[in-house]
Amino acid sequence: MNRITVPIGPQHPLLKEPMAFQLTVEGESVIESTLRLGYVHRGIERLCQERTYVQNIHLVERVCGICSHVHTTTYCQGVEALLGLEVPLRGLYLRTLLCELERIHSHLLWLGVLARNIGFDTIFMYAWRDREIVLDIMEDLSGGRVSHAVNVIGGVRIDLTEEHRDTILSQLDLLDKQVAHLLGIVEHERSLKARTQNIGHLSLEDVRRYCVVGPVARASGLNVDLRRDRPPPPYDRLTFTVPVHEDGDVWARTWVRMRETVESVRLCRQILTLLPDGPVAARARRRVPAGEVISRSEAPRGEVIYYIRSDGSDIPARVKIRTPTLTSLITLPTQLEGVNMADVSVVLAGVDLCIACADR
Amino acid sequence: MRCLESIAYLFPRIWRTLARGPQTVAYPLSPIDLPAGYRGRVHIRAELCRGCGLCVRDCPAFGLELEREDRETFRLIYHPDRCAYCGQCEESCNFGAIYLDNDFVHGTFNREALIEVLVDRKRTNK
Ligand code: SF4
Ligand code: SF4
Repeated sequence: MNRITVPIGPQHPLLKEPMAFQLTVEGESVIESTLRLGYVHRGIERLCQERTYVQNIHLVERVCGICSHVHTTTYCQGVEALLGLEVPLRGLYLRTLLCELERIHSHLLWLGVLARNIGFDTIFMYAWRDREIVLDIMEDLSGGRVSHAVNVIGGVRIDLTEEHRDTILSQLDLLDKQVAHLLGIVEHERSLKARTQNIGHLSLEDVRRYCVVGPVARASGLNVDLRRDRPPPPYDRLTFTVPVHEDGDVWARTWVRMRETVESVRLCRQILTLLPDGPVAARARRRVPAGEVISRSEAPRGEVIYYIRSDGSDIPARVKIRTPTLTSLITLPTQLEGVNMADVSVVLAGVDLCIACADR
Repeated sequence: MRCLESIAYLFPRIWRTLARGPQTVAYPLSPIDLPAGYRGRVHIRAELCRGCGLCVRDCPAFGLELEREDRETFRLIYHPDRCAYCGQCEESCNFGAIYLDNDFVHGTFNREALIEVLVDRKRTNK
């Protein structure tokens, strides 16, 4: 049978951000695929070496448009470690609250994208409608829907009144109901299952081989979650479960992400009820003592790593960012092998691509 | 059974959605509801500003500029076209002089027209 090459991207309706695939297709199935990245490279790491530690908070916030807060959190965590600064507990709780809200927002957004890619627009509408609840909470908290600018070195710059806390708790009640419904759809809806089960399979060995992290790894049976394995405060005081699935297909990833969303709502509620009193930030020096640090956090897409080296000035000597998407991106050729042409969109959606993150 | 469940789920929601009316706002004819902490244009309480330049130094987008001759003669200039509305200047100012409010309408065909001199302080007792 004739082989043909189908290019997807850099600009393609399937992709929300630019990247390029070359699919070699025989009949209806994909035989081989190659991947090209770098279309949204913005040189952020190099730029970090030109700006002060304070300016860099806002720069690393622009690494990702969806999980912006977790990037600033990881960065600030690293700088605080270099400074030997103790962040007040209330500050940490509020930081984590934003992180968890962001996880809900990211997963609901992703569910919408997946539903859109499989042509199930009803779920897309539901998911994005419910995502508005989270975005409203975040906007009320921070003043921005996606770029929150909440973190400062030493804590956060927002605070919460009792009244505001109660409002958020009541919004979370509504969210709880909606997310439970979405989880029900994922678990029982036959057309969703038919389009996502046994597609884009990734075995546990492949996950280990490619060092995949986050929900994609957990959906293939790898039980890793930084929030539980190396809990930074306040995660060590909160109770939650880490959903893991063995199937390793797109449906398993959907299930893992929706279960995580349920857990995140639970975590938000715990954070709000346990929120300690006190200051939200400690004062930080501008000059950071010489040294290097590796800072890690569990972002919605998996573990994000920041390496920061300081030479004692107020400008970092090196900032290196390892985003979680990069690890799942390189598994795509494996996942696409033998997949039906019509299912390529489902596989692509399944890994939750954030190209801008990966390119930096 | 699932079908009945779906209907039971759907109908109250359809009813509620219809009863709620449009969710969009006829902006700019009617005002919009912005949260209290919304980060819009940068403003200044000029009498509090000391020209220390901390806000200029911390601004990540080079949206502020300080032309300083001496302690009492300086100009603080704001470039909204570069501003990222991050609120870092408000955070950095030790004197509570600079702040963001929720005014976000900046549309213009002329970039230069946006530039605003926030503080123009001249020495009084020469
Ligand atoms: S809001 Fe941010 S970008 Fe705008 S002037 Fe202030 S510090 Fe600069
Ligand atoms: S606004 Fe504040 S930080 Fe900026 S120059 Fe004036 S006093 Fe200094």
